Amino acid sequence: MRGTRHVTNLALLVSTGLVLSIIETMFPPLLPVPGAKLGLANIATVIALYSFGPGMALEVTLLRSLVGGVLRGSVIGLFLSFSGGLVSTLVMIAFVEPFDDGFSILGVSVAGAVTHNTVQLLAAYLLVRHAALFYYAPYLVLVAIPTGLFVGLASRRVTLSLEGLPLQSR
Amino acid sequence: MASSEGRRIPGRAKVADAVLVMLLVVASVASLVLVSRASAGEKGSLAIIEVNGKEVKRVALGDGQKTRTVTVRGVNGPSTIEFGRGRVRMLESRCRDRICVRRGWIDSRGDTIVCLPNRVVIRVTGKRGTGGGGLVDSVTE
Repeated sequence: MRGTRHVTNLALLVSTGLVLSIIETMFPPLLPVPGAKLGLANIATVIALYSFGPGMALEVTLLRSLVGGVLRGSVIGLFLSFSGGLVSTLVMIAFVEPFDDGFSILGVSVAGAVTHNTVQLLAAYLLVRHAALFYYAPYLVLVAIPTGLFVGLASRRVTLSLEGLPLQSR
Repeated sequence: MASSEGRRIPGRAKVADAVLVMLLVVASVASLVLVSRASAGEKGSLAIIEVNGKEVKRVALGDGQKTRTVTVRGVNGPSTIEFGRGRVRMLESRCRDRICVRRGWIDSRGDTIVCLPNRVVIRVTGKRGTGGGGLVDSVTE
């Protein structure tokens, strides 16, 4: 079960996520609002969720935010991306699991993006302790919709290409 | 092979996706409208500058005033704030993404500039104690 293949797949997905988050920092912020991110790194999580299942998605997200935070050397960044990543992955799992025929990968990814931004806002609130931050919430949700759709489309493309590959050991 | 554990084939977009997106759009647009109604775009006359949740400075945004700057010490370093002629902005700040500087000028009650890395918040309110349009301001004052 937890053979070399698992470790290799995990490492591939985590590094995909890390590279995507590096690419993301090259874009200017979408909105002058803390927490409004493209969320490209979420592509790795969605791929993991669809190609390997919920466990893999969680592993990928947690490792990615941990390694990413250590690489960037920012404790705040680690806290923000860890909390946002964990909760949004749990929400995506919740969306994919019981409603198997309900939401497609697009809806799941949008739900993940919205949760990610909202949780980052909550985490930012814990840091700044200023209720005025919540003025930003509607903007964050609005930004998350197109980014979530994009992440969903990209992940669907990759997941379909991975189909038929012997990803798991038997 | 196709049914390895946990593997799913992502299908086409579903009705539920569209419903979810619609709900999110409606909810956020509605709350934007509500918030802008509440503050009604009234010009603020005072800016409160906070660092790490504590008020460190209040500046009057008098209309006839010349623009001046004030520098406060944030968590990572200095943040310079420019104010006057009824508005205020973050001129310079020690932070990575400079979201706060890009935010530009703000002038209405309830408007805020947040510099998360430096933990600096600039908030425009009405006159001392009036609490603007009944927004969060009245709680923190």
